[in-house]
Amino acid sequence: MRVVDWIVLVASLVSIIAYGLYRSRGSNTVDRYLLAGKSMPWYAMALSIMATQASAITFISTTGQSYADGMRFVQAYFGLPVAMVVICATVVPVFHHARVYTAYEYLEQRFDSKTRALASIIFLCQRGLSAGLTIYAPAIVLSLILGWPERLTTMVMGATVVTYTVIGGIKAVTWSDVQQMGIIFLGLLIALITVIVLLPSPVSFGDAVYLAGAAGRLNAVTTHFDWNDRFNIWSGLIGSTFLFLSYFGCDQSQVQRYLTGRSIAESRLSLLFNAVAKIPMQFFILFIGTMVFVFYLFVQPPVLFQHAELDRIRATGDFRPIDAQYQRAFEHRRQAALLLVESHHSQDRTAETRARADYRAAQGEIDEARTQASRLVERNGGEPGFSDINYIFLSFVTRYLPAGIVGLVIAVIFAATMSASSGEINSLATVTVVDLYRRYFRRQASDHHYLAASRWATLFWGAYAVAFAGWGKKLGSLIVAVNMVGSLFYGSLLGCFVVAFAFRRVGGTAVFIGMLAGEAAVFSAFEFTGMSYLWYNVLGCAVVIATALAVTAAGAARPATPPPQ
Amino acid sequence: MPELRDVPDEPPPFLRTWRRVYGAVLVYLCLIIAAFYLFARAYR
Repeated sequence: MRVVDWIVLVASLVSIIAYGLYRSRGSNTVDRYLLAGKSMPWYAMALSIMATQASAITFISTTGQSYADGMRFVQAYFGLPVAMVVICATVVPVFHHARVYTAYEYLEQRFDSKTRALASIIFLCQRGLSAGLTIYAPAIVLSLILGWPERLTTMVMGATVVTYTVIGGIKAVTWSDVQQMGIIFLGLLIALITVIVLLPSPVSFGDAVYLAGAAGRLNAVTTHFDWNDRFNIWSGLIGSTFLFLSYFGCDQSQVQRYLTGRSIAESRLSLLFNAVAKIPMQFFILFIGTMVFVFYLFVQPPVLFQHAELDRIRATGDFRPIDAQYQRAFEHRRQAALLLVESHHSQDRTAETRARADYRAAQGEIDEARTQASRLVERNGGEPGFSDINYIFLSFVTRYLPAGIVGLVIAVIFAATMSASSGEINSLATVTVVDLYRRYFRRQASDHHYLAASRWATLFWGAYAVAFAGWGKKLGSLIVAVNMVGSLFYGSLLGCFVVAFAFRRVGGTAVFIGMLAGEAAVFSAFEFTGMSYLWYNVLGCAVVIATALAVTAAGAARPATPPPQ
Repeated sequence: MPELRDVPDEPPPFLRTWRRVYGAVLVYLCLIIAAFYLFARAYR
């Protein structure tokens, strides 16, 4: 990082935090601190919802994902518009009319206190783990740039986020998200333009897209069905619909965003904006990753993008043959790529087919060398399942982007993390205070007392997230890890809410047993099958509904209380 | 902890009814999947 990068980075972060805190003035009561006094306009909620979901992980991991595996990850978002429509039509008006602080508060109105407590605890477990991953992602950035240990950078990031969240409340979080999304869009655009400008002169943008496609990196829609395949159109449309129904309908970190709306229409518009904008945005980010892939067809990348591990295996005798193979494979691929472009331009179909096969074979050699290097890392004390996907984009940014832009991109990553983490920690504190502390420990205390409790709870969850962050590096791709952790718990939560809305005769005990059965089914699938995580949401939801209905039919559950109007 | 106020429900600012807005979002989804499919097919 050069001096100008540091200036851009520090100035961006200070202005974002200062603006957020400035807009949060007057958050001196619990309803203002947790729900902004229900005063937010739709565009602020929309960008806050987007910023909370699109954390630093979106930048760091998604681009690496498309570099290594192509664009098929975009299919994981196909269910989002469907989920948003369902949530707007059902959940949003019910939660607003129920006048609740949290989604789980509604469950006590509909079922009973134990169902609310179980749902709250499931949320706290799941979101607490994810909050750790959210903080871990930018810690990678600092470690890479400053050479600090990841643990130290995690602590520094966590302390900053916690301080900001404790002081600001949800208004600070939301308004800083608005500013951050502007910087994120700007940073994305500049990153894409830069990588295209950096392509060698004989390769046009059209050639770059052609080369990415020939290497299988533009596989945005794959139609074959496989239970164990994480990303195809079927898991995207069905599995991810359930994932997003759970995330936006039952996860307090998102529900709290649209509960701040000044009207039901404003809340709906904020969600529908995401339904329309999220897929193109994700496509755009993945496309940046594929352009980085094309850039590295002509500029030799390191065999592994995580320099600390690469330096460690360089000292071993086994590395030399892998490195030699990698050098040969890179040169082979570079020549094959140029030949393929040339044959494509000359429209010589026979030569093009031959060049394409050669290009793909060379890509296979590169992949093989990278796999062998990863295995070598594992054999020499590295984490099992070692993956450098999270380092690919950052390595590119720090080595090839011009002065000032590096600082801006790093600022975007930091700002996005602070936004996502603060939203998560804020919602964890809300559930802790509203659903557990106020419900079971101090039912009648002053507003000032609950405000102080909310701030203490925020501090606790920040510390918890930092403690968990070290687990992140064991999970491979961070974007997949976050969704996977969520999927372990979301199915049961979703099943509970589906029963609440759709099966009026089912009571609290039946759905409580159903949720336990749902969690047991999902963890069994996780432990004993290779099922793609997107299907966990379907499985968990189905088991909860089936079990609750079976228990009700068997007469084990008492009759339900009619839901409030 | 203060009781929260109820908030009003309003029609959408365009297409007159929420049902139509939802329909438009789903049509948009079909179109974007079709566009991605054609894009992936053109460059594979």
